Amino acid sequence: MMKKSRKEIVGNGIETIKDFANSFTSKNYRGSVTFKVSPTNDQRRILEDSCPTKALFPIKENDAMGLDNGKCIMCGHCSEVESKIIEIHSKPAIPTRNRNQLIDYSSPQIFSTEKPYEQIGNELKEKIQQMFGRSLAIRQVDAGSCNGCEIEIAALNNPIYDIERFGIHFVASPRHADVLLVTGPASRNMEVALLRTYEATPDPKIVIAVGACACSGGIFGDTYATTGGIDKVVPVDVYIPGCPPRPQVLLQGLLLAINRMKKIE
Amino acid sequence: MNKTNLENYVKEIVDEFSNKITKTYQNNNEIHFNVELNDMPKICDYVYKNLNARLATMICSDEQKNGGGFAIRYVFEKNDVFIFIMVSTGQGFSFPSIALYIPAAALYEREIKDMFGLIPTGSPDTRPLVLHEHWPDDIFPLRKEFELHTKVKRQEKKYQFLRVQGEGICEIPVGPVHAGIIEPGHFRFSILGENIINLETRLFYTHKGIEKLAESMKLDDVLLLSERIAGDESVANSSAYCQAIEKIAQVEIPNRAKKIRAIFGELERIYNHIGTLAGISTDASFPFGSARLNILKERLMQLNESLCGSRILFGVNRIGGVRCDITDENKKLILETLSEVSNDFEKIITLLKSKSSFMDRLRNTGTIPKKTAYDLGVVGVVARCVGIDVDTRRDHPYASYYLHNNKTSQQKMQHQIEMEKRAGDALARFEIRVKEVRDSFDIIKESLDLDDDTLFVNMPEHLEPFRSALGYAESHRGQTLHWVMIGENNSISRYKVRTASFCNWPIIEQAVLNDIVPDFPLVNKSLDLSYSGNDL
Repeated sequence: MMKKSRKEIVGNGIETIKDFANSFTSKNYRGSVTFKVSPTNDQRRILEDSCPTKALFPIKENDAMGLDNGKCIMCGHCSEVESKIIEIHSKPAIPTRNRNQLIDYSSPQIFSTEKPYEQIGNELKEKIQQMFGRSLAIRQVDAGSCNGCEIEIAALNNPIYDIERFGIHFVASPRHADVLLVTGPASRNMEVALLRTYEATPDPKIVIAVGACACSGGIFGDTYATTGGIDKVVPVDVYIPGCPPRPQVLLQGLLLAINRMKKIE
Repeated sequence: MNKTNLENYVKEIVDEFSNKITKTYQNNNEIHFNVELNDMPKICDYVYKNLNARLATMICSDEQKNGGGFAIRYVFEKNDVFIFIMVSTGQGFSFPSIALYIPAAALYEREIKDMFGLIPTGSPDTRPLVLHEHWPDDIFPLRKEFELHTKVKRQEKKYQFLRVQGEGICEIPVGPVHAGIIEPGHFRFSILGENIINLETRLFYTHKGIEKLAESMKLDDVLLLSERIAGDESVANSSAYCQAIEKIAQVEIPNRAKKIRAIFGELERIYNHIGTLAGISTDASFPFGSARLNILKERLMQLNESLCGSRILFGVNRIGGVRCDITDENKKLILETLSEVSNDFEKIITLLKSKSSFMDRLRNTGTIPKKTAYDLGVVGVVARCVGIDVDTRRDHPYASYYLHNNKTSQQKMQHQIEMEKRAGDALARFEIRVKEVRDSFDIIKESLDLDDDTLFVNMPEHLEPFRSALGYAESHRGQTLHWVMIGENNSISRYKVRTASFCNWPIIEQAVLNDIVPDFPLVNKSLDLSYSGNDL
């Protein structure tokens, strides 16, 4: 994964890697949970019990099992207790437009081919060009996250991922933003601030829920101090699963979001 | 642990207050004294002033079911010993405040008032802290009778900020939603021109109820929760939590696991310190430096991913050992990556230090007075930048850090001289981080000769209810303390977390007083405080 010959670090060489075909993903990466075979009744109970966020749930009607990627925090407990049934795959779960689309079922899963980072970026650039004319402005809002998602979002700005080359930049005020990138389980103490940030953002606007907490409350769930997901407070257009989602997936989520927007006349 | 230390402290306190202590017992490096509520302030004052111990944390727990009312434990830290002064509120709902002579206690007392509804009598500040103004007055989440999933109605109330008045003084409110990709918090500046006259911080926007939530979870699941207290401190926090449970169960983890914990702890320190140095460079308006440092941070995060499957080191620990092994192949990868990163790191640091505009911006910015730092009980880099020599890795060696404590007298002397020279400004914090990154490279290299051993030991099936223990670790921000009390059926009865950020946040209000508003981001970044780790 590491390239052998490196550029001089204090020189002006370009570190941004153009060929992202392998997307840096290590084979050890805990990207998504997949079913190898359908679990039996007993196994379903064991699996359900092993999952700390209740992302794995039995479906009574057809003796199947569901996996809610919006809740899964990639702890790997399920694959430890039932390694014959569950496999942790290095390919990350993909963002969706609808909360229900995050749910997989216990039929062995077929992956959509993963696009390289660079390719997603260029598609995105083209869309932004058509839609907003050159730039997409993002306002990030932390609504109670643990800071894990912020680390990954900040990584988009580093010279390796360099998101600005696709015409995307992070802005200081919601009034300048097209997209709100929201993390965290929406803590009660942030509820009003999140709502007011949403109201301050001009139309057309997109809200993206980033990470398991933002999608469903994640490990923090729905308690006295949280609301159990961003969509309980503001309408969400795209859900990005992961704990935290890696930069490639964040970019994929942005592409999905922009595809959804209608061109401003 | 030094046996004589412990005995000396016991003797000293017992000699002074023999008739006031109802019970004394020891648990490893913890000494517990049960005392009466009325005698507590005097004893705390004695431990703080005469023994020169630091107030490490205050733990309140609802023990009404066991007939004890609310128990409050004042935990002091002295050398390698933790001194617990425990009181019970009995039938009442108040306790005497000690904030007037131990300033660090003020925040803990406000926290206890919010979460348990106990009134600290005589406290100078009883405004709400954790539960903001929209919470009703009669909600106390950490009381046992409060149900975790209760949805509380909002109410309209106003929070009283400190008002600075005078000709030409105005206020700048900032946040909770900030301009960068950072966590939420509110800052209220009172300014005269550009000069900051007063700064008041308002935090707890990311309060997620972690302590209450832990009481409803299985021990293994709380481990995952502890990793997510602050995403960038995952190894430190989960190590501290595991240690607390291991101490309760009285098991010792295998040597291999100890070393792996230390290695990941240091990997975490390196990538975060480099990230902070990059942030300092950004805020000092030198983006080139930060871009270059961020390249190194990304390389380290990719290393993290190959080692443990998570870019921010989730899933390293398990109770009784570690989940993630370091194979021979991985050792090679670590050594290669680290030697590359450390080479490049030195080049960037040399470059930064050669830029006078960068160095001038850091020097004398955000200076912390040593006395204030001591009074507020700061920890970690923030304490070391004024020459307060605390480091949990050395003071209370956990994991395999005892292997790195054998310093020669010359090294010790050098260390002491360095400590004396520290000025408490942003430059001192910059230099300490650079030094600690270098030290961490060494610690990792020294730890890589792993013992041929298992990764974990099996834990006993059943842990005795109402036993408790303190776990601790040094994150890149400083000391993190996790106190766990086991409940019935292997549940958790009380989980108290105090991360370094909780101790260090108050200092920012003091650090900016000689600066102008544009310096604030730099001061803030150089202190590197976590919002989520503070708000829980």
